[in-house]
Amino acid sequence: MRVSAALPTGVAALLFESARRRRDAEDRMVSQLRGARYAEAILPILDYLEPYEELLTAAARGELYRFIDRDGELLALRADFTPMLARLLAPRIESLELPLRIFYRGDVIRYEEERAGRQREFYQVGAELLGLPGEPGEREVLRLFLELAGLELPGLDGTGKPGGALQVVLGFAGALDGLLLAADVDDPLRLAAAVARRERGEVRRACPSLLRVVEDGLPERPEDLGEAAAGRLHGLLALRDEMAGRFPGVLLSVDLAEFARHSLDPRLSVAEGERPYYDGLVFHAYAGAAALPVGGGGRYDRLFRALGAELPAVGFSLNLERLLQSAEARP
Amino acid sequence: MIRLALPKGRNLDAALAAFRAAGIALSGLDAAGRSLRLALPDEGIEILSLKDWDLPTYVGHGVADCGIIGSDVLGELDGDLLVPVRLREGRCRMSLIGRSPGSVPGPGGQVRLATKYPNTAHRLVAERPWGAEIVKLSGSIELAPVLGLAELALDIVQTGRTLAENHLVEIETVAEVAPCLVVNRASFQRHRALLNDWIGRLEAAEVVS
Repeated sequence: MRVSAALPTGVAALLFESARRRRDAEDRMVSQLRGARYAEAILPILDYLEPYEELLTAAARGELYRFIDRDGELLALRADFTPMLARLLAPRIESLELPLRIFYRGDVIRYEEERAGRQREFYQVGAELLGLPGEPGEREVLRLFLELAGLELPGLDGTGKPGGALQVVLGFAGALDGLLLAADVDDPLRLAAAVARRERGEVRRACPSLLRVVEDGLPERPEDLGEAAAGRLHGLLALRDEMAGRFPGVLLSVDLAEFARHSLDPRLSVAEGERPYYDGLVFHAYAGAAALPVGGGGRYDRLFRALGAELPAVGFSLNLERLLQSAEARP
Repeated sequence: MIRLALPKGRNLDAALAAFRAAGIALSGLDAAGRSLRLALPDEGIEILSLKDWDLPTYVGHGVADCGIIGSDVLGELDGDLLVPVRLREGRCRMSLIGRSPGSVPGPGGQVRLATKYPNTAHRLVAERPWGAEIVKLSGSIELAPVLGLAELALDIVQTGRTLAENHLVEIETVAEVAPCLVVNRASFQRHRALLNDWIGRLEAAEVVS
């Protein structure tokens, strides 16, 4: 009998050299994380669905592989490490010594429409820093993210071949809430989606002061965002400059339109996004000549709050296979 | 060098006219040509010539930085592309088509609906008091209601001439369809100055909205 070597859509087997390449990259990252005194957490691939029901948006729910176990429990395959880690730690927080530095590695499984570059099973390495509030936590995590990416994309620290191999877009949740709510529109959520897609016609009609954000990622004056958000923007620009100095090979930009749907105001927080828990710094990274999305992260204190624990939390994840693919040049 | 993907289909002429009106010459590009990939080094542009349905994949994957594609195709694919402007030329509409207005069933009714756009059709039917079995076809959608494969069709209507020739009527316009400039998210960060310049020139030439 001849058996087929076909696999289901969206999954891949790594054999021989490709397996070695990934394990080598993983080893380098793990050794860097251990060097930064992050401790590993090994998490199950199966979990109950029920603890996450309240936290899931429609988009995140649509990605889940759910099924009924033989004992009748509703289970889901792991689609995101962060909420799983949070729900395991939240009830134990009083017994933990803070700040806590944790890393994880493993597969996540998400249903994706079949299209180029979208796997349904992919391997993540990520880290979470718990108990360190404000900018010090965000600085540490962003720096660690860039250091890990730099292990596979040499030159980010300015040595060797110069830049553009990694692009990181920074923003913060709620930055545009004030402008979105002040706009003369029936549906500010729709306007937020138009800003995120940079649809100029719709934004110009609804809120001309957002047009500059759509074009350049920043408002004409930080004060246009309101006092609190302006203060956060100043802090973020300073963080960007600091990281740009440390990693001259990375193209770092602050772009608030990119994160228009990450809101804090309850009137806007019916977020459509897949990771709606971010409530401070948010960032996305793209790597290589084809600019593949390779990871991102941010602050997510409100995830712990929703789980009944007050704990500042910030973290990131990297998609290891995409990062390795991105090291190959665009033809 | 920025990579611009142009569609082979009905939107190519509108795309070329808009770019040229904005002073983006794309010189040496021949709409009738068969080249799939053409470098325009003087303009710093590389053109990819792609089928409509493939174009969002190329842009979404970052192989092309930007492109022109109809909102009908865009609405069908679950892509995460930026859509800064829509062209004024080349617009048409997406409509429900049938042999008569009575082809639409009453509340609780059930029909077959033929279309190239099954996802769009599912969203449309979800908002109606009637149900439909979606019949996915890849071309000559108008034939389906003519020959009774389906009672209704959901398709693009430009002039309405094909409908008239086949004794069909446009029962309801569901959406306006426009060729759109689409941009990859990462490419926007990298080529922001150039893309903002292009968009500004397209706006100044009043060929987009």
